[in-house]
Amino acid sequence: MAVPDGDADLVRSAIGGDDEAFAELVRRHKGMVLRSAARFARNPAELEDLGQETFLRVFRDLRSFRGDAPFGHWLSRITVRVCYDALRKRRREEKDISMEVLASPVADPSTGSGPSAHLARMILDQAMSRLKPEDRLVITLFELEDRSVREVAELTGWSETRVKVRAFRARRTLKRLIGGDDER
Amino acid sequence: MNDKRHDPRDAELDRLFELARQAPPDISGVERNFEGRVMARIRESREPWYAWAWRLAPIFLVLTILLGGWSVLYPPIHAADPVTMLASGTQEVALLDYLTGE
Repeated sequence: MAVPDGDADLVRSAIGGDDEAFAELVRRHKGMVLRSAARFARNPAELEDLGQETFLRVFRDLRSFRGDAPFGHWLSRITVRVCYDALRKRRREEKDISMEVLASPVADPSTGSGPSAHLARMILDQAMSRLKPEDRLVITLFELEDRSVREVAELTGWSETRVKVRAFRARRTLKRLIGGDDER
Repeated sequence: MNDKRHDPRDAELDRLFELARQAPPDISGVERNFEGRVMARIRESREPWYAWAWRLAPIFLVLTILLGGWSVLYPPIHAADPVTMLASGTQEVALLDYLTGE
């Protein structure tokens, strides 16, 4: 049996019931999906859940893939949607999270070299957990994944204006949190 | 969004984002054999409902053994109380006599 090599061929084979074709799609794209989902997951177990949920949704909706854009783009949109749903579900749990970690190696001017990359991630994770899910999604895609406003708009299905407004609000809240004047 | 900002907290935030971008999250543990676990989930979701019946068989077996043991250890009570007799179903004649006053 000939092995299909393009994503579109694999999608067609998977729709036809070829499990190995779908497994190959997962193998090809798992890195991209997991790297993206890892920006939203709090631990490896949650990352596993987000990754699996993404591919289960892809499998379920495979027939709706029209093929007019690359499979990777379609997959990215589903990944973003799954992560956004997870953020909304999690929102209530994190309301009372401690903000102690924000006590300021960043704000302290006497700290010569500043925080390490790992510490920066921790600080941002803590601060971003206080954002609204929409704001967190936008600022993650925009600042951490370094995507353009247009890309974020395409991935989320929101207008560019809405993306800009969300990004602005998220930055404002983060500045307040990191600056230490948490008004909430 | 990339305009010049005068708020020092903007520079601080940008520095944090820049540092965080330099430390991509470690996905190696989850990535290993990930496709195998996804395919297992997909196969699981395809199973017909009666596939679960076999998984419940051990539970029903244990339940049957427990009920059997219980009925051996605690045989039915034969009391003079007519309601108990009615419930036991073994004293129908006596109960009939009692109710009809014979």
